[in-house]
This record gives sequence, structure tokens and C-alpha cells, in this order.
Amino acid sequence: MSKTISAIKLNYGDINKGDEAPVVSHELGRTDLVKYAGASGDFNPMHTDEVAAQAAGLPSVFGHGMFSMGLLGRAITDWAGVGNVKRYGVRFTKQTWPGETLSTKIVVSDKEVTEEGKIIVAEVLLHNEVGEIKVSGTARVLAA
Amino acid sequence: MDLNSYIGKPTGAGTVHVERGAVSRFAAAVTDDNALYHDLNAAKGAGFNGPPVPPTWTFASVFQGRYPEEQPEDPTGGTGNPMMQVINGLMKTGGLVLHGEQEFRYHQSVQCGDVLHWEGKITDIYAKESKGKTMTFIVTQTVFSNQAGEPVVTEIFNLIHRGA
Repeated sequence: MSKTISAIKLNYGDINKGDEAPVVSHELGRTDLVKYAGASGDFNPMHTDEVAAQAAGLPSVFGHGMFSMGLLGRAITDWAGVGNVKRYGVRFTKQTWPGETLSTKIVVSDKEVTEEGKIIVAEVLLHNEVGEIKVSGTARVLAA
Repeated sequence: MDLNSYIGKPTGAGTVHVERGAVSRFAAAVTDDNALYHDLNAAKGAGFNGPPVPPTWTFASVFQGRYPEEQPEDPTGGTGNPMMQVINGLMKTGGLVLHGEQEFRYHQSVQCGDVLHWEGKITDIYAKESKGKTMTFIVTQTVFSNQAGEPVVTEIFNLIHRGA
């Protein structure tokens, strides 16, 4: 069994299927793409070089999939507490574009007591302002 | 190309230091201003030895705090990540490379000050037809262990080539 250090924020008994975590919203800007490139080491020019992106036939640079996953990860840890995520996986379904407002949606789908502890299972996704899903997946987080 | 022959091949290995500046900058880049990632006193107050890392940090960590003199022998024998050999082979006839899926399994917390060792391998390759195009999926698993030799994070990376 692995160690959990920081405080667990969710109470197993209080969490029910269908419960939703607080939404995190963020308007994606080109500066976000540059910051993520620098902080992650992913310098694919399709994310940072407008000239190269347009030469490749794209309307503009587009966001790193891992930025989307990181933003959604922030919403998960805001809700469950840092250090309490046991598993987090997504599919990347659509590209993100500068100017879009990205919002998280985290909905409890199950809960179970396992060897790892009391686990809350949530369907997690990130969508834009017209409901287009950018990434979707599942997170398993610890409750007390 | 015999795709099955690539299953089990190592993709790489490395040793990386989990450094505060890099972690704080990464957290800021994913819009996360949680004090635990930025403020040592907040992290210690929560029971961590150093600031912890955001959930997707290890994916970026292989490019951070990577000192040349500490790197292990290249498990590919200098031929590079076999995933790229497969992709480059497929790209000869065009197409598009997509990051299809990404999963993290967390075994123990990672904190600034840790020194992680990672090893990756290809665990699956398969192709299927979709809308008249061949989709080739390459699945890589990377295990990160800490300085005590204990696994801390397992990453599962699914890269897709969509044929032209």
C-alpha cells in the first residue's frame, strides 16, 4: 500500500454517484502554449510557431494535449487534494485553439473500497464553450 | 514492417532530478497556483519533504534536471526509441501522428529533491482500419522509480499513426 501524505479532502460517505467537482475554466492564449512548451520541454513548432503551423495548413498554433491534461489534472487535485490521485487517464479527442475557453467537468461515477483504500471513481473531461470535448477519461482518487 | 517484433523493446532510460524551479514553473504553466507546488513551508506543513509535483509532471520530467554525467547506459544500444523507427517507417507514405491516450498510475508521491530513474518499453503495437484509413497504435509503458528504488509512477502512452 502506498503512502499518502497530504490531507484527503473527500469524505467517502458524503460522496455519491453523480456528484460534480468544482469547475475550472481557462481561456487558452498563445502565451499559455509558450509557457507550457518551455516548462515541459515540448517544442513541437505546431504549438508555438504560427508561421510554421500555417505553412502546415493549420489555421493557427494549437494547444499541447498535455496542457489540456494538466489543466484537468489541476481541477482533480483541487477537488481531491494533492497526493490523493491513484490513477488518471484520458483520450485526446480534439485539438484546442487559442481563444477557446476550456472548462473541466468531473462527475463521480462509482466508489469502492479496495486494497488501495476508499476510492472515488470519476469521469473527467475538458470541453470548450460550445461543448466540444477535448479530452475525456477517468480518475481514481482517495477519500477518507 | 513486422510490428510484433517491436513489442517488449526498450524505448529508453534516464535519471532525472526533481528540481523546485522546474516543478514550480511546470505547475504555473498548467495554471496551478496551489501553494504546495511553490512554497516549501506550505509543502512541509502538509507533510511533504519538498514541494510535491502535479499529476502530469513525470511526462515532462524526462527533459528536466537531466544531467549528462548521470545518465544510464542507453538500453536501445544507440539506435534510439524504436517507437520513432515505427513512426518514421509509417510516415514514408504520409499520414499524421497523434497522441491518442495517456494514463498515469500513482504508487507514491514524488517530491522536489527526489532523483527518479525511468525505464520505458513498448508493450503493444496493433493496427486497425477506421473510415478507410489504417490506424497504427503504439503503446509505451514507462516506470519511474525513486532514489530508494521504489516505483512511484507508471505512465502508459498511446501514440497513433493515422495513414494517409
